[in-house]
Amino acid sequence: MNSYYIINLLIYAAVDAMACLGLNQQFGVAGVTNFGFIIFQAAGGYTAAILAMPDQSANGGFQTYIGGWNLPFPIPWIGAAVVGGLISLPFTFLVGRRLRGDFAAVGLLVTAVLLNLLVTNYRPLLNGSAGLSLIPQPLQGEYNPQSSGYQWTLTAIAIVVCAVVYLFVRRITESPYGRSLRAMRDNDVVADSLGKNLFSLRSAMLVTGGAIAGLSGGILVSYITTWSPAAWGYAETVVLFAAVIIGGAGNHLGAILGAVLVPVGFEEVTRYIPTSNNLPPNLIPSLEWVAIGLLIVIFLWVRPQGILPERKRVIRAGAAVVPPTAAAPPLPEPPVLESAAPEPAAPESAAPESAVRPVSEPPGDREIVLEAVDVSKEFGGVRAVDGVSFTVRRGTLTGLIGPNGAGKSTLLAMLAGTLSVSGGTIYYQGRDVTHLPAYRRARLGLVRTFQLASEFKRLTVMENLLTAVPDNRGDSFRGAMAGPRYWRGDEAAAIARAEALLERFGLDGLANSYAGDLSGGQRRLVEIMRALMAEPRVLLLDEPMAGVHPNLARRIGNELVSLCAEGLTVLMVEHELAIMDEFCDPVVAMAEGAVLAEGTMAELRSRSEVVEAYLVG
Amino acid sequence: MTIFLASVGFGLVTASVLAVAAIGFTLQFGVTDVLNLAYGAVMIAGAYLAYVVNQAGLNIWVGLVVAVVACSAGSVLLNSGIYTPFQRRGATPITMVIVSLGMTLIIEFGTQAIAGGTSVSYTMAQGPSVRAGGLVLTTVQLVVIGLSVLVMLGTHILLRYTRLGKAMRATAANRTLARNCGIRTSRVITLTWAITGGLCGLAGVIFAMDAGSFDATSTDLFLILILAATFLGGPGQAYGAMLGAVVIGLATEISAAYITPSYKYVVAFVALLLVLGLRPTGLLGARA
Repeated sequence: MNSYYIINLLIYAAVDAMACLGLNQQFGVAGVTNFGFIIFQAAGGYTAAILAMPDQSANGGFQTYIGGWNLPFPIPWIGAAVVGGLISLPFTFLVGRRLRGDFAAVGLLVTAVLLNLLVTNYRPLLNGSAGLSLIPQPLQGEYNPQSSGYQWTLTAIAIVVCAVVYLFVRRITESPYGRSLRAMRDNDVVADSLGKNLFSLRSAMLVTGGAIAGLSGGILVSYITTWSPAAWGYAETVVLFAAVIIGGAGNHLGAILGAVLVPVGFEEVTRYIPTSNNLPPNLIPSLEWVAIGLLIVIFLWVRPQGILPERKRVIRAGAAVVPPTAAAPPLPEPPVLESAAPEPAAPESAAPESAVRPVSEPPGDREIVLEAVDVSKEFGGVRAVDGVSFTVRRGTLTGLIGPNGAGKSTLLAMLAGTLSVSGGTIYYQGRDVTHLPAYRRARLGLVRTFQLASEFKRLTVMENLLTAVPDNRGDSFRGAMAGPRYWRGDEAAAIARAEALLERFGLDGLANSYAGDLSGGQRRLVEIMRALMAEPRVLLLDEPMAGVHPNLARRIGNELVSLCAEGLTVLMVEHELAIMDEFCDPVVAMAEGAVLAEGTMAELRSRSEVVEAYLVG
Repeated sequence: MTIFLASVGFGLVTASVLAVAAIGFTLQFGVTDVLNLAYGAVMIAGAYLAYVVNQAGLNIWVGLVVAVVACSAGSVLLNSGIYTPFQRRGATPITMVIVSLGMTLIIEFGTQAIAGGTSVSYTMAQGPSVRAGGLVLTTVQLVVIGLSVLVMLGTHILLRYTRLGKAMRATAANRTLARNCGIRTSRVITLTWAITGGLCGLAGVIFAMDAGSFDATSTDLFLILILAATFLGGPGQAYGAMLGAVVIGLATEISAAYITPSYKYVVAFVALLLVLGLRPTGLLGARA
């Protein structure tokens, strides 16, 4: 146990921990599966090398490379992080809304294999398969890199940088922005429908993780002074994935633990395996890879949450009142008291005046807020929706009925932007929104719910509600970076609104349960409350009462009626005709992709074609 | 011109190997919904098994049959022992891909642990060369092309004219609906793994014949060609995989003749990324 051994161990641990933190931020927190993660560490390593090295002519031509700028510390490290981030940009086109996550992961994996192949074979760029060596260490002109003082200092700096990276990713993850990332991880289509820009969130994570990976690569080459394609085969990414999965995806301390257990641990354990001439060559390294594969599969089966599972974010009732700490400057008074006040205030906080005005004129005379003109949708050769035109007027609770396969859910999805139209136009508040993506429509107040359970499973009920809140100052990368002091006021207001809503729907006791642990009916409630938290002007509900106890369904109906009286507009798909009778006016009847009739439920019952298509069945 | 024709010859052989591999891979994904990245590892395990049989003094074509049977059985086991239990637990597609990547390491490096890290080749006669126009092909290469054509025809007959093929297509389109229509989907899925596993073993052996010498990691790069052919034709589309295999096979070998051979995979890679970015359902797939 000499000091060289310990220094080596500590530096590798710090570098691997940094890489795992970056990967965990992408994979564990945001659900972006980057199978090409090692590319970004490699890019950082090469960048730091060519920034620090002298021109290639200085070393007698035994290695060739581009650059060679001989720049002083810490520019190579900064450059490594910057390039690691920049090189992520071309990959953002893979992680948008269109491509399945596993396909994008395959694309990144293939890229990693190919880039390694290219760098290996193209010598003028980065000296090919031999790689770069004699990479200058930081400040080696001023100090003696061989001295133990220098080595210990470098180690300490690496550990400090790792700690800074930890604080950085924790700051992102524990902010409202981090909550949006976790929501996207749990269900990206739903996050999209609540106004989250998936492309921007995923791109930000690719760049953030890439910069962290690049920095880790830069630090590593400064210590080992060589860097070659053999150090960053595609399988190294798998090792980091194994570390994150074993440590605990979504938990940054788990990522650090995983880094110590897997990459560092494997390196150390194999050191103690006696080398014997009787063993075939390659046996031990081969078995190491087999062991990594086994660890991944076994952990995913036995303990998928990892050794240190993702922490539950408990928000206690009344926690909205944040006592100013001694260090913090006085905070703006969180607007808690008004919202926490009894009943009359609560409905307003659920549907603020800014979004809606109470309405008094009869339904038929009110302004049109949502209009479909000749909208159609084809799947393969099937016309699921065939030239539908209808209008929804402000403050109404419009019902949409029809037999199975009538195209109701498809229509709803097109109105919300979850599905694109095959033809026709959609107007929302007089504006053509036909080609506006779902998240933009949600931000304009056109919010939908889903027919199938769509809660964010690994977020608590409270977090599910908070995710939907628009305009939280902390719900952006910059806001998250500005820190809790910047967004605490908005957060407190949102918590107060959520608490009022939970109380109103009788779920306040479950605020801190994971949404994935609730019963079916409770999940529907969470979904409706979450949609209301998004401050909708028009709410599109897809069978909100399905699987809900009749008493509760009635209560939901009454709540919706009172929200409509305050100016909210609701379009609701529902099969339960009793609900339609009681709450909805007007009702639109669809069959086989087209609108059959429109009117009050009583009128529809008197029309034979509607009765034939639907009511009798 | 001779370079061009020679590269077309190589391209045809590569395309043939690729077609067998890609049909197996794409059917596997389409019907069972597992993007099985361990496919390349199973291929090379089959190639090794044929090598072991070959070393025992038997003809390589016997080794080929052994590899087909073993890979078929192995794939059924891989599914029933690993993938199906994970799917039953509701594992997400991304978890399944990570599991398959773990299985890749286990199978590929397990093979390497047993076989050692050195390259090996089959003991076999290449047979007399055949000339047609400017093309020169060995008998073995012709047999490989012939086998591939047989596999394509067989796939066509299977999917169009047999009950099993129709059941496979129904299961691929909508598993729940297929089950509700009385199709025994779990049996269809097991049979699919058996068939595609057999194709995987066949592909492994003819890949090794074509490559000349191989080691346990040889299919790492070939998997990229398989993925490129599969995604080019549209994931899950057997006919798309055939088309993709021909395009990718010819494109890589012809580009190898004019650029450096070490960059021949770049064509496949660019094609794959473009398809993923622009048209994830592939050339023959339905529009998203």
